[in-house]
Amino acid sequence: MIRIEHLSKNFGNLSVLRDISAEIEKGEVISIIGPSGSGKSTFLRCVNLLDRPTSGKISINGVNILDRHTDVARVRQKMNMVFQAFNLFTHLTVLENLTLAPVKLLGRSRQEAERKGHDLLRLIGLGEKSMSYPDELSGGQKQRVAIARCLAMEPEIILFDEPTSALDPTMVSEVLSVIRRLAKEGLTMLNVTHEMDFARDVSTRVFYLDEGTIYEQGTPGEIFDNPCKEKTKAFIRRQQSLYQRLFSADFDLYSLNAEVESFCSRHLVPLKSRHDLTLLIEEVLQLYCASSSSFPIDITVNYSEKTGQLELLLESPPGSANPLELQGEDYALGLSIIGNLLQDRKFTHSENRNILKLYLKNP
Amino acid sequence: MTIETIKQTSALVVAVSGRMDAVTAPEYEKKINELLDSGEVSYVVDFGQLEYISSAGLRALLSTTRRIKDKQGCILLANIVGNVKEVFEMSGFGSIFPVHATVDEALKMLPG
Repeated sequence: MIRIEHLSKNFGNLSVLRDISAEIEKGEVISIIGPSGSGKSTFLRCVNLLDRPTSGKISINGVNILDRHTDVARVRQKMNMVFQAFNLFTHLTVLENLTLAPVKLLGRSRQEAERKGHDLLRLIGLGEKSMSYPDELSGGQKQRVAIARCLAMEPEIILFDEPTSALDPTMVSEVLSVIRRLAKEGLTMLNVTHEMDFARDVSTRVFYLDEGTIYEQGTPGEIFDNPCKEKTKAFIRRQQSLYQRLFSADFDLYSLNAEVESFCSRHLVPLKSRHDLTLLIEEVLQLYCASSSSFPIDITVNYSEKTGQLELLLESPPGSANPLELQGEDYALGLSIIGNLLQDRKFTHSENRNILKLYLKNP
Repeated sequence: MTIETIKQTSALVVAVSGRMDAVTAPEYEKKINELLDSGEVSYVVDFGQLEYISSAGLRALLSTTRRIKDKQGCILLANIVGNVKEVFEMSGFGSIFPVHATVDEALKMLPG
């Protein structure tokens, strides 16, 4: 239904979208997720031609919409968009907002458009608000009207650009439930959203956008439960990271502790986890120093705000031994403490770095 | 780390507070060694105000205990709580050292 080939978009020297290709079948619900500034909204605006792509090709039902002979207004009738800001006409009643475009653009009779408008308002639970003005509605109600106005044009595809991000939390669910219902009815949708639970529930596929491209895509299960790529994992787990480099065995333990403590305070890491992390770092670094590992050692602390999982990564130059394999009485106490703090560990060699990954038990 | 000592009839009570880690553990060893050299051989170590201990701290405890035993002295540990207690349990230290709930309880174990 929608075929996107090598889509790129630059704003001046800034490359926002890079060589994106995707195919979307009729009836699919695609959620587009990713960090702020990753190009999600620009991607949607390019598909709807609100922003003109710098290069590439977009076909809807086999018609290249970037062809200069294509009737863009007609394309937009087939593919309507719901925005963050509801963009309702404030001087028109709710019903008039719904009937204006069908009468003017589709040539419907006023009576027919009003009948359809009333049907749509009932569908979104606002049957009693037909004669109200937008300013008399709550944010959630306005957005539902915006969705109904979109549906009044009988589009084949609806693009949602963060439809709930301008709403109070209490109003998000009423809008999402309307979108859920449309998804079940088989409407083709592209949905830019920060509502991860919603994206998981409603989507047939999820696109994770990062670095200006579809960095990873898959079913909701694949993306939310088993993401393959590092940036997707970090985003899904709402991962926060701290990086520190130790240049020699004479590193300043208290300075390192202060950085870790500050990181933990900033991200509200529970006190017990902070203690265990500090203890783990000290114990492991003591073993690194004892095993004559070469420096520098790069330390990364990853904290998942979603799961509470803490990971400690230590990268050392090639040739360094795994400090957790040290033998001898001197190391037994430290190794015993480390063993009790961890739920898992991995040591990998590569040509350039040795990486020790330690996963703390989640108290 | 702060170390305070209080002389009781049966022993010297050594109250350790703060952190006992790779940086501060040598201070503890030094202090006990000085006390040993001055002739003090019976100790009750009060960990009630100790917030953190690592294996470096545990090793300092072990090495000073060996020196005390070499001098026919004795050392009892008391008041081990919270994170410090957990580290004792993780490392198996709790079974090596007899640990007493309070300083008074430990003092009663020693000949007056």
